[in-house]
Amino acid sequence: MDNVYKPELMEVINVLQHTADVKSVRIRFWDPAATEKFSFRVGQFGMFSAFGSGESTFNICSSSTWKDYIEFCFRKTGKVTEILWQLDEGDTIGFRGPYGNGYPMEAWEGRDLIFIAGGIAMPPIRCAIWYALENRDKYGNITIVYGARTVGDLVFTGELEQWATHDRVRVVQCVDPGGETPEWEHEIGLIPHVIERANIPAENAIALVVGPPIMIRFTLPVLDKMGIGPQDIYSSLENRMKCGIGKCGRCNCGPVYVCKEGPVFSLEQIRNLPNDY
Amino acid sequence: MSDVISRQQLLELVDAWIAQDKRAIGPVAVGEDLHLFMSMSDSGQLAMEGYIRPQNSIKEFFFPRHEKIYRYHFKGHNIELEDVEPPATEQLIIGARPCDAAALPILDHVFNWDFKDEFYNQRRNATTVITLACATFDDNCFCTSVGLSPAAEQGSDALLLSIGDDGYEVRCLTDKGKALFEDKTQSSEKTGEVIDGPEKKFDPEPIGDFVRNNFENPVWQEIALRCLGCGVCTYSCPTCHCFDIVDEGTASGGARVKNWDSCQFAMFTQHASGHNPRANQIHRQRQRLLHKFGIYPEKFGAILCTGCGNCMRNCPVELGVLNSVEILREAATRNTGEGK
Repeated sequence: MDNVYKPELMEVINVLQHTADVKSVRIRFWDPAATEKFSFRVGQFGMFSAFGSGESTFNICSSSTWKDYIEFCFRKTGKVTEILWQLDEGDTIGFRGPYGNGYPMEAWEGRDLIFIAGGIAMPPIRCAIWYALENRDKYGNITIVYGARTVGDLVFTGELEQWATHDRVRVVQCVDPGGETPEWEHEIGLIPHVIERANIPAENAIALVVGPPIMIRFTLPVLDKMGIGPQDIYSSLENRMKCGIGKCGRCNCGPVYVCKEGPVFSLEQIRNLPNDY
Repeated sequence: MSDVISRQQLLELVDAWIAQDKRAIGPVAVGEDLHLFMSMSDSGQLAMEGYIRPQNSIKEFFFPRHEKIYRYHFKGHNIELEDVEPPATEQLIIGARPCDAAALPILDHVFNWDFKDEFYNQRRNATTVITLACATFDDNCFCTSVGLSPAAEQGSDALLLSIGDDGYEVRCLTDKGKALFEDKTQSSEKTGEVIDGPEKKFDPEPIGDFVRNNFENPVWQEIALRCLGCGVCTYSCPTCHCFDIVDEGTASGGARVKNWDSCQFAMFTQHASGHNPRANQIHRQRQRLLHKFGIYPEKFGAILCTGCGNCMRNCPVELGVLNSVEILREAATRNTGEGK
């Protein structure tokens, strides 16, 4: 009997601690045949199992061009993530997916890309950044704006430096006022202000914005002022899910099931959704 | 001419079914004014008529309130998963009401759009549903308002209509129904009576329009202030199908299970961050009525309600779909009034 709820078993091959409470984990299928069969689109998500505690929903934060493994990133904040926090290389977890729609990377070809991430929302954007860098000739200028409350809350900092060395890529890092250290050489300020100051060319741009609702709320007017239309601004919604496949009944915003029709929506689409996110 | 079966023959049919180690389910009187659909050990328990309807619905025999979906075992650092199959036992549900059976084609959509829930499907395939047309109704019944009737055939394999002391007229609707009653009925001049049913109390289409277009409306507060958030409306509803997925086990292993959940509970939508899109009962009541009259119809072309009235009868504060709809209709009238 086909069991849509049953995960594949995956081996933990690497664990990276980013902050006091954020880790990313690299996993691969125990079954090589499953690796062979598996593919996904950047922006899709999975249900990750810590057996005995349950399942949680995370974006697959590695690029879809990396074939042998996938990565996910989480903050230690509840029952499942407490257990995931203890994972070591060689441990086994469960994975179901990929689910959801993913980013329309093909539709964005030929455009400048502005990636805007706040705090723990870097991982869901990181997959798209790597995808764009690995298909570099398909995209125009890439600007990455990444901010967190404090220097200690930034994740994937090593990769930020790496991205900055790529051709036609600009990385703008910032921390909230008071969150800087004496050594901090980058911007200080809230993301919307930093974007305003950064003079990012917006004429032919797509903006992908992921972060806390408050950050998104204040960033949208700035993008609007830059002349980026709601059809060119995208985000990824994070409603609570249990099944991930349109059955358990909780992730909907009105008639739209975030798990199946999302999680990626244009601002134009989001504005047509009831405020249920 | 019609096919009829006597009461005695019907009970014998149920006993013969049980004698084959198959599961027979029917309404059983478990207390004063309390009937529940449950497994029967003999046909003597079957309480077909003389009351409106059982307080639960038949959905739990397809979508159990607690269901293991697989087991996990810890073996040192390794984990083994073990498949769990739903019991292959054939089930006979006898004495379902038309408002129970009509929920099945509705649930079929949910459990099969895109991804197929084979736990549900296997039970569905292994079950024969014999429905008793209603001979009576009460003030809480409103099947006729949602496009059904006391003798609606949707979801049933056969429909029984009472012909008084002589038994029932049998109308077989599917091969499963025919197989069950083959050689068990006699031809008769008698036909069962089909009653008119409750007066149509509302039109679901304008309700659908209203709930879709009034996400922010003070009327939701009016409804929510009465609600205790107990969830009994969802649990006793034939069509409500939301569930949770959790692990239950010990240090050596356990099972991942699907448990019934309810949109009326705060934790249902609460994020790990603490943010909750449906933070209070206003949002949760709105979700329930929007799902029934707005969202589900838009997705699947049917109303997520069969008018059984269980949400009305079981509610501790007399708040169910029917009087909620009444409150919405008043609000719609107010809206129109304001517009003029």
